[in-house]
Amino acid sequence: MSTTFNYEPDQLQAGLLALAVHLVFFSLLYFGFAWQTQPVRTMSVDLWRSLPDVKVAPPQEPKAVEVTPPVQPVTPQPPAQPEKLVKPEIALPDKKMKKEPEPKPVAAEPEKKVEKKTAAEIRKERELELAIERERIAVEQAAQEAERAARARAEQDALEKAAQNAALDAMVNEYKAKIIAKIRRNIVKPPDVRDDARAEFRVTLLPGGTVLTAELKKSSGNAAYDNAVERAILKSQPLPLPADVALFNRFRVLLLVFRPVE
Amino acid sequence: MELTGDLSFLHLISNASVLVQLVMGLLLAVSLLSWWYIFLKMFAIRRENRLTEEFEEEFWHNQNLNELFRYSNDGAWHDQGALERIFVAGFVEFVKLKKQQGMDASAVMEGTRRAMRATYQREMDRLESHLAFLASVGSVSPYVGLFGTVWGIMNAFRGLANVGQATLAHVAPGIAEALVATAMGLFAAIPAVVAYNRYAHDINRLATRFDSFTEEFSNVLQRQP
Repeated sequence: MSTTFNYEPDQLQAGLLALAVHLVFFSLLYFGFAWQTQPVRTMSVDLWRSLPDVKVAPPQEPKAVEVTPPVQPVTPQPPAQPEKLVKPEIALPDKKMKKEPEPKPVAAEPEKKVEKKTAAEIRKERELELAIERERIAVEQAAQEAERAARARAEQDALEKAAQNAALDAMVNEYKAKIIAKIRRNIVKPPDVRDDARAEFRVTLLPGGTVLTAELKKSSGNAAYDNAVERAILKSQPLPLPADVALFNRFRVLLLVFRPVE
Repeated sequence: MELTGDLSFLHLISNASVLVQLVMGLLLAVSLLSWWYIFLKMFAIRRENRLTEEFEEEFWHNQNLNELFRYSNDGAWHDQGALERIFVAGFVEFVKLKKQQGMDASAVMEGTRRAMRATYQREMDRLESHLAFLASVGSVSPYVGLFGTVWGIMNAFRGLANVGQATLAHVAPGIAEALVATAMGLFAAIPAVVAYNRYAHDINRLATRFDSFTEEFSNVLQRQP
């Protein structure tokens, strides 16, 4: 009797439903709730907006580079011009040859030979000159191209460097925002501060985020607020710094501006 | 403990101390079990209500008790409702006692009532099974969750003692992960309490119905020749 007595007809169904309830609950917890706190991100968005300007300017230069290549097809023409020049030059000796035989038609054979020799020599010289000329042009072209390539490379490098710098700037600004956020959290605002008060501090940091000096550059006009900010700066040690030690140089001296109202 | 600490849900649970994790695991198991019982009871009570309804209909429309008995006794045990079983037990006892010689009417009725009473109690016990579990989950699991939370917060504050400058950022993650335990305790407790109250009420109503049926059926049997 006991086996039938404990009979429950919908055990599996009930178990599945129970599991479903828990899945729904946990997925609600997991997806339906903003677990991340991201107060600093809003600052970085502003910074990225300024980045495209940096990027937009350089692309104009590459265009200039692209414009110059059409000039290249023009330069190959010089080789054609020398050829045109060559023909008249070669034609000249021919004319001479024709002219010279006329005055001395008789016994001109040895002279002719000499002249032929000279003509051949001239031709050889011309050819040599031509070859030299071509070589020179080729060398010039190569140099030009090398120069152009170097310029393009330099521009590309500059671009990359600019992008890198921009990324670095973004990171530096992000951390500056973090530093300001951390300090701001520690400011105990005195009661009678005007909203447009503005205190500028020059903060010198040590590696690790320890504050070496916090020097008031420009008072807000309210000594209590200035003091509160200074106390907050000292209280916020260690200030958040990027893990990359190489970046520390950009944080060594910080100029921070504090306003009671953000 | 960073300033913009990652407070993701899984992170909170995996970062909690072992005891808090144990509490959370216990609460999860208890919650799963109690929800299983909640659904099980829901189906069982709904089914019992339906079967009782059907049988009462049958009983009052069909005055031939022999036919009704044959019909009721035919089905499998779990196709019968509690009321049907009470009826079968009473009728079987009544017929047996009637066959014996030298029994006076009041003794027969007494025996029949006793048989019905026994079945009724067994059925009530079956219906009320697991309800005690729901009741204790409802009353105890908030405390268990609270215990986990208290423990977690104690740890958070102990960690705070080691830090020179105490800020809210140092305690916040610890408190948040500790509070998850309370949340789980409440998640287990609230449905259990609601279900317990609801089912206790439903079962009470069923019990009243069974009681009144027992009385009415006794009357019907007494009228039998």
